[in-house]
Amino acid sequence: MRNVVAIMRREFMTRVRTRAFVIGTVIGPLLMAVLFILPIMLERRQTAPKHVVVLDADPGPLGELFAGRLRGEMRDTVTRTRPRYRVDHVEAAAQRYQAVRDSLVALTGLRSAGAAAVDGILVVNDSTLATGDVEYVGVNVGSPGEMAALRRALSPMVVQARLANAGVDPSLVMQSLRPIELQTFKVSEGRVTGETGEASFLLAYIMSMMLYFALLLYGMTVMSSVVEEKTSRIMEVLVSSVSPFEMLLGKVLGVGGVALLQLGLWAGTAMVLTTFKTQLAGAFGASPAAVANFAIPTVTPDLFVVFLLFFTLGFIFYSAAYAAVGSMCNSVMETQQAQTPVTIFIAAGLICMFALLSEPAGTLARVLSLVPFVAPFVTPVRYAFSPLPWTELLGSITAMVLGMLAVVWLASRIYRIGILSYGKKATLREVARWVREG
Amino acid sequence: MSDPVILVDRIAKRFSGHVAVQDLTMAVPRGGIFGLLGPNGAGKTTTIRMIMNILTPDEGRIAVFGRPASRDLSARIGFLPEERGLYKKMGVLEHLVFLGETKGLRRSDARARGRAWLDRLGLDGWADRKVEDLSKGMQQKVQFIGALLHEPELVVLDEPFSGLDPVNAKVMKDVVVDIARGGRTVLFSTHIMDQAERMCDRIVIMARGRKVVDGAVADIKREVGSRHVRLTFTRDRDKARRVLDDRTLVAHVDDNGASAELELADGASGDRLLEALVRAGAGLSHFAVVEPSLESIFISKVGAASAAPVEAAHA
Repeated sequence: MRNVVAIMRREFMTRVRTRAFVIGTVIGPLLMAVLFILPIMLERRQTAPKHVVVLDADPGPLGELFAGRLRGEMRDTVTRTRPRYRVDHVEAAAQRYQAVRDSLVALTGLRSAGAAAVDGILVVNDSTLATGDVEYVGVNVGSPGEMAALRRALSPMVVQARLANAGVDPSLVMQSLRPIELQTFKVSEGRVTGETGEASFLLAYIMSMMLYFALLLYGMTVMSSVVEEKTSRIMEVLVSSVSPFEMLLGKVLGVGGVALLQLGLWAGTAMVLTTFKTQLAGAFGASPAAVANFAIPTVTPDLFVVFLLFFTLGFIFYSAAYAAVGSMCNSVMETQQAQTPVTIFIAAGLICMFALLSEPAGTLARVLSLVPFVAPFVTPVRYAFSPLPWTELLGSITAMVLGMLAVVWLASRIYRIGILSYGKKATLREVARWVREG
Repeated sequence: MSDPVILVDRIAKRFSGHVAVQDLTMAVPRGGIFGLLGPNGAGKTTTIRMIMNILTPDEGRIAVFGRPASRDLSARIGFLPEERGLYKKMGVLEHLVFLGETKGLRRSDARARGRAWLDRLGLDGWADRKVEDLSKGMQQKVQFIGALLHEPELVVLDEPFSGLDPVNAKVMKDVVVDIARGGRTVLFSTHIMDQAERMCDRIVIMARGRKVVDGAVADIKREVGSRHVRLTFTRDRDKARRVLDDRTLVAHVDDNGASAELELADGASGDRLLEALVRAGAGLSHFAVVEPSLESIFISKVGAASAAPVEAAHA
């Protein structure tokens, strides 16, 4: 036991003190805070409304409709205080049309013109109603977002004008055509959380990615540390006083501690940020109503615990496998190829998680929660959607612990012989013999 | 010899058809310095690895402190392997503390002892540096300290002096001699003969996996007898050639150029050889009948073993 502690301490201390760890650990929460605050700041950013001139080549009701609609477009949907466009309506009949157009084009994008500068010209004529063609001349035609917004705003106006021409009451038709808007709110433990479906998806996505990268990176850390001990032959000194199993255990727990510390700090930051999102956003000047409009999920303390628990179990499961792979190889180069099976299992876990997003409480999801190598992904993600009944959670933990013990047993059998075997890379048949031999 | 610290009993080890060690029996008595000698590839390192329980012998058995080799004994044994290895990214003192910890030392004890040893071996000032900043010779000394930190009763050193400059080799030699003087046991392997000759009480010489010589250094020399002559030439070195090639006078020569050590042929005497050399006109500054050096014994024995037909290796 002393040996396990000594090895654990060594693995933990030498890694925690590296610059890479410190930077990585600090950057994570920083990035999260930025991701959280950036949308608020963007929302608050004072962008001047775009100056759009509606040029009516054949004066009629359509030009007026367009101008009116654009004046009503707002940049923020909640407070409706910041207009998207500054609109001028210019009527220019046939003989004056070209001259007016030329003078407007000359002003387009001309900053020195100040308030007279134009961002875009919308040309409306008689044929617009029939063909639906609207000419837009501007500096921002390269922005798909702005063009889409323009099209979205103007289309109903054309429809409305056509209906009016045909003698149909446009307001009646518009009312009838209005699409339904699905308002999603997550129910958790019999209460409506006020969290949108979008937010739950975002949380599941971020959690899976964190698990994926942490399992992969720290698993490989264990593997390369095994290879280092083998190639530096420090193993020969250690093995006379420390049993291979103690070595393996100390190493996995030590590196696992580093991973848990980092992930814990990250998840903890996420928990604090999301729990106090309203207050925090308020500090940056955003109203509670605006915050509710963002897809910011909530990390509850029990989700935090489930997440770290399944990460720990999954980490021991996979890092033991990585350690066994490392012990079979003689150089970091050799591990590149040999690690593929383990890496594929981790990737499979991630893919399974995506597969069940459509039905997180379905039969497939329930079965996958009981499969050890995907459970570290599946169970916490399901829990993020909606807390699992404790029987299901316990079942998943039990399956995971059993699977973990099996893999650790197998890995330690391979490891104990592998670490002292030099020469060519072990074949599968040799490895099978290592496992069988007393 | 009543209770040897290490008892090796008819062990053999084969690696995929190649015989590394065969029918080796030896006993390392308590106290003193025991040398395991042999040319490269003789099986010294394999033998030491089996003693250290890193490898398991295919045949025979090994007892350390009267018990089968096991990890429980590790606190009583210090080991310096042939291929050195340390964690490159660790601090020097921190590394020593870690090694001491695995040998059952308390961290504070290990730290104090580590500092004392670093001072003694001239590495003070390097305690907080990383291992990778040290030269190879320094790293070797750090690992040497790591083997001694827990004051083991038995110290096993595989080629401890290889790659060290004379000054550092002497520092480490003094430590080894000190340990033996304190009543502890040192087993070390080397292929540098005059070093072994100066330090060892007892030796085993191996060649091609087999033992060819075993015993106390003084006994071995006496057994071979005073049939060795050491010569130093001043001039006309080539005139001596015919005399030295005369197999009725000289059994074999270890020719070093300006000097030579030779073994007299059966029936020849030192007088007759001297007479023949003087008559041939060779200029001599030194002529002495001496005890054979370990090196000449080594060369004659290992040469004989190499010449002997090698048994096919059947696994």
